[in-house]
Amino acid sequence: MSIPPASSTVLPPTDVEESAYTPRKRVSTARIVAELWEARDLVVQFILRDITVRYTQAVMGFAWALLMPVLIVGAGLVFRIVIANLSGTESQSSGVASLLVKALPWSFFSVALSTATQSILAYANLIGKVKFPRESLPLASVVGQGTDLAVGSVFVAILMPFLGFSLTWNILWALPLLAMLIAFTVGCGLMLSCANLFYRDVKYIVQVLLNFGVFATPVFFEPQMLGAKFGAIMLSLPLSPFIQGMDVAVVRGHNLLQPLSMPGSKGLVEVWSPWMLGYAATLSVVALYVGLRIFRRGSAHFAEMA
Amino acid sequence: METTLVFDRVWKRFRRGAVHDSLRELIPSVARRLSGQKRPELEERDFWALTDISFEVKPAEVLGIIGGNGAGKSTTLKILNELMEPTKGRVHSEGKIGSLIEVSAGFHQDLTGRQNVFLQGAIMGMRKAEVKQKFDDIVEFAGIAEFIDTPVKRYSSGMNARLGFSIAAHLEPDVLIIDEVLAVGDYAFQQRAFGKIKKMATGGIPVVLVSHQLDRIAELCTKVILLEKGVVKASGTAAHCINEYLHPPEDQQMEAHNHTGIRFEGLKSLNGLAISSGEQLSLSLTGRSLNESYPMGWQLAFHVTQEISGSELHSVQSPQRGVLLPLAKHFEHRIDLQMNVMPGNYIVGVVLWDTETNQHVLHGPRVKVEVLDRLAFWGSHQLNSNWTEIV
Repeated sequence: MSIPPASSTVLPPTDVEESAYTPRKRVSTARIVAELWEARDLVVQFILRDITVRYTQAVMGFAWALLMPVLIVGAGLVFRIVIANLSGTESQSSGVASLLVKALPWSFFSVALSTATQSILAYANLIGKVKFPRESLPLASVVGQGTDLAVGSVFVAILMPFLGFSLTWNILWALPLLAMLIAFTVGCGLMLSCANLFYRDVKYIVQVLLNFGVFATPVFFEPQMLGAKFGAIMLSLPLSPFIQGMDVAVVRGHNLLQPLSMPGSKGLVEVWSPWMLGYAATLSVVALYVGLRIFRRGSAHFAEMA
Repeated sequence: METTLVFDRVWKRFRRGAVHDSLRELIPSVARRLSGQKRPELEERDFWALTDISFEVKPAEVLGIIGGNGAGKSTTLKILNELMEPTKGRVHSEGKIGSLIEVSAGFHQDLTGRQNVFLQGAIMGMRKAEVKQKFDDIVEFAGIAEFIDTPVKRYSSGMNARLGFSIAAHLEPDVLIIDEVLAVGDYAFQQRAFGKIKKMATGGIPVVLVSHQLDRIAELCTKVILLEKGVVKASGTAAHCINEYLHPPEDQQMEAHNHTGIRFEGLKSLNGLAISSGEQLSLSLTGRSLNESYPMGWQLAFHVTQEISGSELHSVQSPQRGVLLPLAKHFEHRIDLQMNVMPGNYIVGVVLWDTETNQHVLHGPRVKVEVLDRLAFWGSHQLNSNWTEIV
């Protein structure tokens, strides 16, 4: 009906100064954290929504929270029996306790990360319409998954006396370890949820990595089973210090400030070093910082992608 | 807070379609780029959704933005809402921006109405205490008090929309943005919603309103801009912009080289340009016939087309209704039609038609008519169906 105006195809005039008209301002990380604190009611609402839906809908209720760890323990036991049969050795009795304690953080990480990865895309409709701190979506996914972790921990605490735990104060190491794990997972969740909006196949890659990750980190294996060299490689993978720390402190009652070595088939293998605490702390701080920065850069384009 | 909303020489560039949607596409393309092969068509996919848009809304001003599909209204709103950043230009506002849009997008179907009010309230930036305090008002306004503890998946779409609107309407923003929410729910709720919007809009804060309901724009806005393909085509009073929108100036240009002897003067609606589906539209056609005789077969005709698709729904030549081509006089005709069509935009145009050659001789005036969804139905034809319970 009408001719398109010529100006709709031209570029902006060059006299518009790029510097004065570049709107993007860098927001400091402290400011992002403050914004999220301001939006804490929103994060709580997202968490409540997820929990309500998960626990009221699922027939099994709270048992749902235990399903994943129990499955992992089951898989781990089968796995160990197979290995023991192949190598002709007795399978260890401390196996169940150790598997259980390591299955909790692993299942937390794996479920939290896959829900967080999809959190932004799942609410694309909302993101295109309403402004709210976008970080709250992956953050709530991860923290909400923390309730499953809490339920699982209570369950483990009840079972402790029966599974032959050494009850020492070193069990308290679990608290900082889990706190760091949550921070690490939030950081990864921020990065991946953002990436998944731009590249829709990220969630498949995450799923594949998580499926293999259970073998690469000390969930099923213990470092001494692999020998000095491969044990060290396994412990250097990002999720290992959290999981290994739980095992060493909670099951073996070891002080994490002291190194620990265990006998393997070819001599002593170091299964814990105090440095791994520093490694875990660095991982969580770096992941959180990088996650917040990447997410904030990406979130400027969310409404265009969604 | 005294705050002025400023939109200063704003440009926004988009890509047609995402460049890479998956890593599977990204990796080969990066490899190509590294090996020096270019894909020039990528550059051509850029287009400017907004070009050099400026306006200012002072406290107590209500700016209306009108324009067809793809004019840039939604992009403008998204930039105002800080959902997008402009490619160039500056946007300035202070305080809390409240957005009155039709949202029940944040609703979770398995949660109850009550739970969703708190969830949606939080998404829209309300603190929990604030939602608590306004909770009763929100529910009462939505008119769903008895269903508030029912999961929203059992709500009708109207109840959903009413609750969503009601939450948004209880924000207390410093700047208010209203996007096309004037047609939410049934007729009674629409009236109530419009009253609420009017109250919010006249509360002394800057307001930006986007709507296709031109009568509402005319009623609420202190000034209007007309966007077309990302450019401001007109700005000023509501009447001026609406007129520009409905009667593009091309019509007048065509008048200049008109040697037919028929001079159309106007095609005006006698009952507004936004009417409900199934209602009657009355148009008045005026003009002047200069000649005593015209070539055989020349007749007046009008046709109704759908704005987006351009497809013709209906056309009539005046002799079919017993009206002959006026000879050497000033004429005034009245055209009545039942708009028994889907809600949407339609164009009614008058032409001088040659029935011998089956071609138009002269394009006459046209009006754009907005058909509103007030008697909801599915399908392609409005049959004004009634459903009455007898027993």
